[in-house]
Amino acid sequence: MVSPVTRDAALINDLYNVILIFAIIVFILVEGLLIYSVIRFRRRSADEMPQQIHGSRTLELVWTVVPAIVIAVIFALSVDTMSRMTARGTLSNPVAHVHAINDVAARQRVERAQPVDLVIEVIGRQWVWQYKYPGGDGVMTNEELVVPANKNIRLDMTAADVIHAWWMPQLGPMIYVNPGEMSYVWFNVPPGEYIGQCNVYCGVAHARMISKVRALPQAEYDEWYAKQAAASSAATRPGDPEIGRDLFMNGSCIACHYIEGTKAQGKVAPRDLTKFATYPTIAQLDGFENNAENLAKWLRDPQAIKPGTAMPNLNLKAQEIEDLVAYLLSLK
Amino acid sequence: MASISIPIPLRERAKSGVLGWLATVDHKKIGIMYMVMSFAFFIAAGLMALLIRLQLAAPNLQVVDPNTYNQLFTMHGSAMIFLFTIPMLVGGFGNYFVPLMIGARDVAFPRLNAFSFWITLGAGLVMLIGFVFGARSDAAWTAYVPYSTKAYSPTVGMDIWLIGIILLGIGSTLGAVNFLVTVYSMRAPGMTAWRIPMFVWAMATTAVMVLLATPVLTAALIMLVADRNFNTQFFVANRVQLWQHMFWFYSHPAVYIMILPAMGIISEIIPVFSRKPLFGLRAVVISTVIIGLLGFTTWVHHMFVSGVDPAIERFFMFTTMVIAVPTGVKVFNWLATLWGGSLNFKTPLLMCLGFLATFVIGGISGVMQGSIPIDQYVHNSYFVVAHFHYVLFGGSVFGIFAALYYWGPKITGRMFDEKLGKLHFWLMFIGFNITFFPMHFLGLQGMPRRIATYDPGRGWELGNLIATIGAFILAFSVLIFIINAIKLRHGERATDDPWEGNTLEWSTSSPPPEYNFLEIPTVTSDRPLFDERMRTPHM
Repeated sequence: MVSPVTRDAALINDLYNVILIFAIIVFILVEGLLIYSVIRFRRRSADEMPQQIHGSRTLELVWTVVPAIVIAVIFALSVDTMSRMTARGTLSNPVAHVHAINDVAARQRVERAQPVDLVIEVIGRQWVWQYKYPGGDGVMTNEELVVPANKNIRLDMTAADVIHAWWMPQLGPMIYVNPGEMSYVWFNVPPGEYIGQCNVYCGVAHARMISKVRALPQAEYDEWYAKQAAASSAATRPGDPEIGRDLFMNGSCIACHYIEGTKAQGKVAPRDLTKFATYPTIAQLDGFENNAENLAKWLRDPQAIKPGTAMPNLNLKAQEIEDLVAYLLSLK
Repeated sequence: MASISIPIPLRERAKSGVLGWLATVDHKKIGIMYMVMSFAFFIAAGLMALLIRLQLAAPNLQVVDPNTYNQLFTMHGSAMIFLFTIPMLVGGFGNYFVPLMIGARDVAFPRLNAFSFWITLGAGLVMLIGFVFGARSDAAWTAYVPYSTKAYSPTVGMDIWLIGIILLGIGSTLGAVNFLVTVYSMRAPGMTAWRIPMFVWAMATTAVMVLLATPVLTAALIMLVADRNFNTQFFVANRVQLWQHMFWFYSHPAVYIMILPAMGIISEIIPVFSRKPLFGLRAVVISTVIIGLLGFTTWVHHMFVSGVDPAIERFFMFTTMVIAVPTGVKVFNWLATLWGGSLNFKTPLLMCLGFLATFVIGGISGVMQGSIPIDQYVHNSYFVVAHFHYVLFGGSVFGIFAALYYWGPKITGRMFDEKLGKLHFWLMFIGFNITFFPMHFLGLQGMPRRIATYDPGRGWELGNLIATIGAFILAFSVLIFIINAIKLRHGERATDDPWEGNTLEWSTSSPPPEYNFLEIPTVTSDRPLFDERMRTPHM
């Protein structure tokens, strides 16, 4: 298993290692008996007739009862791990589903479950994870979640379309994120970068639905957050096509879009973007001329320009839009 | 072995040529058609697997585009389960050998039997022709809602897939009724419960499971077809778990539908090639039936992370783990049958040993995943892919090849080439393990299943490359089997009983006449032919 960084992930890891010992013992026992029999009991002459043994009640009792005991031990260990993965008097599991988004009572139980320092709203959609920060600064990120390290974080998750699954192997248990339901995950991680990805098949770009968590020391996090809050209101410098390309290639754009000779091999969007700048219009919309101003409008809110388009609103920041526009218009 | 004479029923004269196959109601011909059909689908689905493995051989490859990839794994899984493993074991071997092993001249409802086959073939062709001409589902064989609803899978390929599976369900339900009535009412005189061959026990248990589980899946499929086409709201208005419950209520038992007959097969072959009776026959029978019953109580273990009440999950963790006990009993009984035997290492036995060696790994990883905390880590990862291939390839497919080598001479009247058979076994055994063992590690390193590609740097490169190499060794081994099957035309003639068998099918000619037995045998033990040989001085 990948090295755990949270208490719950460590508990899973420990349980796995204990059960693995039982598994190896059973494996060696069965394969050993098999190999020994194959070597020892080879037919040596054509008319050889072994003793006709029809069974043995004692032996059969042994290999019914002993495995049953082993199974009981593994069951008990699992239940014990489950109980230690959570504090008493809270939700019975650190990962929990609530079956309706507006279930007030369930919501209160979640609020009481564990003290938290930061709550982030997470939306899973084809094919990107989006993170909305509290505080009214409009800060929102795609794919990468930045959190303060060593703080109690809660993710309040739902899905916008089909089922997705939140799986960060180093951070603890996986959970499905269902449309119309809420899923909750608590974690507290040391500084570092962690990676995972959607783990329920969700369509053509399922493989590109990556989730990253970057945990920063509080001071660095505050600095990052202030920058994000500022960036979401206005761009601070002119668009840079290089930065735009990095945004494009490392973000969720490649899930749907195709640009020849690059990592962007998505086949969802109807048009190939290899020579995007040569198209007369954006999104094949009559009269919506392909220029920097219109492209920025489009990226800011595609649904407002062309209702029903498959392109989601990625809540891009002003600076990101500038950079992406610079990149896209360089594709000639 | 005493015999009683029952006159051979006067049937319309068996037709020869193509019409003889199209119009046949003979369980043996129907069985052969099931086997040929299933094997063809096995090859098709296997070729899809090779494309899948090529695509994943290295990071960011573009052998196929993501859409095609998703359609490929959907069809690979669906075809391997519904068009190969189940029809091969139940339709193929079940049809051919259940009547022969119980000393009957046909199944209870021969015409219904033919109908089951043709509807199965029709459904398979609908799915495959749809696939070839681009009407493909990409919703995986599990077809979870809401992904499989009209909003997210608008293409007709999804409807074709759903209708195909509905038709297959009809075919296998009718087949199950037929088997149950046949086994219940058409056994040879003297064949009491404890004298019924293990394979027949397994088929009867399987038939009960098919009968109880399939309607639930069929209902779910019809509900989804209606949601997609007639604006009903079965899955729209309900929580997303409804589909999962209905789907897994069938599809977990389906695992046992695919493994119990294979277990029945090796329970027949191991005693023959060890020259010993099956150790603890009654315990094996009872374990089989218990597995069949418990198989209905574990389906929620597929849903440990999808939002089921934790108390309910705990119950299903318990039942999931408990099923390892009767399974373990069977494994130890097979080992005890080998123990002290006189082992004749012909290809059928080798395939059984391959079954034992690999299935046990799938069984162990099954218990591991049954533990909820561990499932919350490995669920939907490549660990699961490794697990179910160890059960369904390591178990069922090795069982199927064991049966083909064991019963092939009875069906065709010719012997397989032993050298090619052994080469096939070893390449398949090695190729299988090279393909699927590394997948355990890939899963533990965080690789999800059903991803069309992956970035470098996650530690998945080596495991995937090895698995792809293994897949080609595996494919090559199947090629050797095909050559061996073609060479069968000129193979050595098979005697009535080339392996010194125990059960009634070996008492008739190879291949058996249309009426199976000139005289219906009377059975006095669980190994009628063994007893017969013991009475005659020369073996």
